[in-house]
Amino acid sequence: MSEKRYVMLADVTRCINCKACVVACRAEWATPLGHSRDWVAEVEDTDDNGMPVLDFFPGRCQHCEDAPCVSACPTGAAWKRDDGIVLVDDPLCSGCELCVPACPYDARWLNSETGKISKCTFCQPRVDEGLQPACVETCVGGALHFGDANDPDSEVSNLLAEKEWVQLTTEAVPASTNHYYYTGGKPLPKAVLPRPVQQSIQEKAISDVVNPTAKIGLGAMVATFAGAGLKKLIERRNELSGDERPAEHGREEQ
Amino acid sequence: MMAEAEKIKVRDRWTIRLHWFNALCWVLLVPSGLGIISGESLRLAPAWWPQFLQTLFGGNQNLILFHVVLGVVWMVGIGLFILLRWRSVVVPFLRNVMVLTPGALWRDLRTLVITMARLFGLMKNVAIPPQGRYNGAQRLLGTMIVFASLAIALSGLYLYFGPMVFHFPDNALYGAIFRWALVVHAAAVFLVLIGLVPHIYFAVVEERESLETMKSGYAEVDFIKHHNPLWYEALKREGKLR
Repeated sequence: MSEKRYVMLADVTRCINCKACVVACRAEWATPLGHSRDWVAEVEDTDDNGMPVLDFFPGRCQHCEDAPCVSACPTGAAWKRDDGIVLVDDPLCSGCELCVPACPYDARWLNSETGKISKCTFCQPRVDEGLQPACVETCVGGALHFGDANDPDSEVSNLLAEKEWVQLTTEAVPASTNHYYYTGGKPLPKAVLPRPVQQSIQEKAISDVVNPTAKIGLGAMVATFAGAGLKKLIERRNELSGDERPAEHGREEQ
Repeated sequence: MMAEAEKIKVRDRWTIRLHWFNALCWVLLVPSGLGIISGESLRLAPAWWPQFLQTLFGGNQNLILFHVVLGVVWMVGIGLFILLRWRSVVVPFLRNVMVLTPGALWRDLRTLVITMARLFGLMKNVAIPPQGRYNGAQRLLGTMIVFASLAIALSGLYLYFGPMVFHFPDNALYGAIFRWALVVHAAAVFLVLIGLVPHIYFAVVEERESLETMKSGYAEVDFIKHHNPLWYEALKREGKLR
């Protein structure tokens, strides 16, 4: 049996910006005022006739395959399940926000009530009970779909096969995600594309200065003193063989 | 049979116990600390080490708890020693070991360079200036360890208790201090580890007498006279040596 791979599909052409998904998410997770784990980005554009149009992009954590937030988390509070869902282990999260600049989708934020990092988890507790994420269940326009992409009979597998789906990736952020968008063939607007992954100054200090210096420093010290020890060993062996010589010489004389 | 070398007691039982207690704490704290740091961008140990240790402890939360409890035991142990032996051991130790002026730093650095060079057969004709109870290299290492231990203790306390005491969303400074504490904690530990390489080398290979002293508390008078002439003179002045 193949492993599950949960994915979210957002059909932009069906989104009516009703924000029912945002309301459902905030209700499900009781997020503090002014914060939500998902959002709908409104992007102004013009159609082929030059008339203004407004596109709506439902957004949330994209559940990256190689998640930069996981890499930036000191304790492993940010982690990725085998089924593709990126989660936060609350007891391990200290709220240090090292993961916040790492997320190119700005999907992580410090919860003012819990003091922990909040983000979309694809409603993991609901998913584990066999339910759909709250946003998908409530989506009025039928724009959001969720399921196991490794199950060839699932709705998402069929949809993925039927249409041309794209991911919010760029040259700077090329990592594959578990979130797909259908735009009806329109190119993705710049406004919804990810920003480059950023490192906080402290993460840079550790990854670029402290750790390399420690490796070089420890390596150099061990090599230096191993060399000194070896030199001493050789000198002692020479001394010992030197001590033996007069005795042999003495025997010859006898 | 050779006559037994004249020895003098230079260290009390509790100082020796503290040294080995400190060493044991480090042996347990460093590997567990390396096992806590999980994120690829931050960890120094290879990926299998945190995975192995966190599995062994039934999760990183337990491993963190083990590290913190041991860290607090380390702080309390040293703290109690400092309180109880402040005048008899700690103050004299700090007086002997701390390098606090540019002049002392220069002298000790010079001694360190000559000592290191001699290991490789260099600077044999350059005399090492007479040394006190601790030589230049020991003084530099000791000063670094005193400051690094303070930094490790304070940053470690904040890393664990900071998020419990302060509500990070209230003030961005709380989180910033946490992140810097992580940098300081790691940097100070690695600095000490780098310094421990020569510390262990000299104790085990070059000057086994000092390792013996750290076990028995007694040092050979001839050894002191040869390696630490200023200390030898001081011991004579104090009437501890004939």
